[in-house]
Amino acid sequence: MNRRSPLPNRHGVIRIAMVLLVMTSLLGLAGPAFGQGSALVPVSELLEDGARFDHITITVEGELVGDYGFRDDGFMWTQINDDSYARDALVDGGPRTGANTGIGVRMPSELGVDLPPVGGYRLEGPLVQLTGVWRYHDPDRGGESYLDVDGMLVVESGRRLEEGPDWVVFALGVLLLVTSLVMWRRNRHLSLDWR
Amino acid sequence: MLIKPDREDLRIVAYALGRIFTVVAVASLVPLSWAVLGREWHPFASFLLMIGAFAFLGQLGLRYRPSDERLDWSHGMVVVALTWLAVPMIGSIPFIFSGHYGSPIDAIFDAMSGLTTTGLALVQDLDHMAPSLNFWRHLLHFLGGQGIVIAALVLFAGGGGLTLYYGEARDERILPSVRSTARFIWAVALVHLVVGVLVLGVIAHQVLGFEWKRSFFHALMIFFAAFDTGGFAPQSTSLGYYHSAIFEFATTVLMVAGAMSFGLHYALWRGPRRALFKNLETRTILTTFTFTMVLTMVGLGAAGIYTSVQGLTRQGFFQIISAHSGTGFSTVPSSELAMWGGLAFAGMTIAMALGGMASSTAGGIKALRIGLTVKAVANQTKQLLLPEGAVVSTQYFQSGRKRLTPQLAQSAMTVALLYVALFLLGAGVALGYGYGLQEALFESVSAGASVGLSVGVTEPSMPMLLKLTYMFQMWAGRLEFVAVFALLGFIYAWVRGK
Repeated sequence: MNRRSPLPNRHGVIRIAMVLLVMTSLLGLAGPAFGQGSALVPVSELLEDGARFDHITITVEGELVGDYGFRDDGFMWTQINDDSYARDALVDGGPRTGANTGIGVRMPSELGVDLPPVGGYRLEGPLVQLTGVWRYHDPDRGGESYLDVDGMLVVESGRRLEEGPDWVVFALGVLLLVTSLVMWRRNRHLSLDWR
Repeated sequence: MLIKPDREDLRIVAYALGRIFTVVAVASLVPLSWAVLGREWHPFASFLLMIGAFAFLGQLGLRYRPSDERLDWSHGMVVVALTWLAVPMIGSIPFIFSGHYGSPIDAIFDAMSGLTTTGLALVQDLDHMAPSLNFWRHLLHFLGGQGIVIAALVLFAGGGGLTLYYGEARDERILPSVRSTARFIWAVALVHLVVGVLVLGVIAHQVLGFEWKRSFFHALMIFFAAFDTGGFAPQSTSLGYYHSAIFEFATTVLMVAGAMSFGLHYALWRGPRRALFKNLETRTILTTFTFTMVLTMVGLGAAGIYTSVQGLTRQGFFQIISAHSGTGFSTVPSSELAMWGGLAFAGMTIAMALGGMASSTAGGIKALRIGLTVKAVANQTKQLLLPEGAVVSTQYFQSGRKRLTPQLAQSAMTVALLYVALFLLGAGVALGYGYGLQEALFESVSAGASVGLSVGVTEPSMPMLLKLTYMFQMWAGRLEFVAVFALLGFIYAWVRGK
């Protein structure tokens, strides 16, 4: 039996190299859309020193939260949060790490049409990489600061979270209410006039 | 000699507190219903516990019926001061169990901030908070802004309650009885509620493109926070979340309405509208607003923070209205606000310290006191320039022509000085912890004047003593000191009296 070598021959190596080269070039061309051609900037840096990134194409990674506001001008507005809660929800036992860290984003409506549900209570929003121009104190929008998105990559589509009642708290509440009702039956002869 | 309060005094206080807690328990059914409708069972359980606690304490208080239910001045003041301490403590129960707070103190801090309509917050991950809990945060603004004790006055039959009314820092009775005045205040709030929520909701849907349900959720939250000059917002980026000039404008109108005295609302509704511009308070607030606005704009322009006139005008105007009305909404992040140095910082801090009108939902020194102080100083100067023995009499217009007596001027100046001392207290504690002078002063004024704008000092990791100091500032600032001093005096007399 003619056993074939597990390693590719010379032609095979060239073929693989060619495929890799073509794939790399394609990714390079699509770079801005996938967040590869621009620097990944933490939101905290944008909030601390927004002027440094003004008019620069950047990529921000985080969770979309709040609402999707589709406006008549063909743009959709939402908020991207780049904090620990974007990956580790509090409801799921994630750590408390302070307030949210988020910025407003604007994108063409067609980019936002098929997005998964936005993050909120018991909802982990989609984790996305957004690429676009950071507009700091944009004079055309009355001094607002936001990311003008032109490319988006959905890293994770988000999920629903569960949060059941705390039965001990519930039982304590019922106990206090029942006690109050019993006391009220005894007190109800009292006048409620405030002289 | 100090007279020690007897058992009857304690019974009167406990009985009055019992009534107020019962009213708050009933009001708390609203967020409970919200939790049921939204199937938010975790917050539901904690709302149930909170209502149980209010109801239990309410009924406990009602067991101590005094032989004479008449509240005198000191009883009323003590009741008001204790109410404003106890309601945030019990009202923080849903926050404590929500998982959004680092400690019970943080939760009480937010409840105190909500009730006193301050707006400083220690909440963590607000953007994932249950809507019913978010609603409770904002409802606290509404209850505190309108006055919980006033709510009790509206609901309970019988006249009187004057001392409770004044205890909640209401300076003028608009109608002959306190109860009818209280009813008028709530009527004004409810009319604004309907119109405000409708306008904001339609804007949120039609302009911002939100879903109808979410539009009215945002509208309701923003209304509570704007009209009651609170400053909480449903999203972590405050008013900056909406990215809309028209939404900001509608909110500004509500903030201004909230900072107006209810006496002025009455004049606009039923009385002669000319009184609006004759009013000393209106004139004072227009002057101080223009002054702080110019100061802030010049400061921002000189620092080159905004490169366009539109940017400078829109952002500067909104922030200064928010500061002067004592609301605390912001369209810029706190890290950016911290960079507003020089004149812009001065303009914002002065605006926060001055606050809105007396008998409004706003905090701060108040325009009436500023106006009276200026008139008194002018009076003194005039007196010095005139021949010895000449008598200078000064009048001012405030719901009718009134004479500025030395006692009135002294009272206005004393309260103004107490506010300055309160601001210095918070700033001193923050300085002691190593914060910079500018940020220490800004945050302290914001807490003491019930504003809520922050340059980043207020955060969950801040020192415990500073949290407690800010809570004291919010409490004392909202009650305008009188009820606080009455409570301290009551406790002192109880310990040391005979």
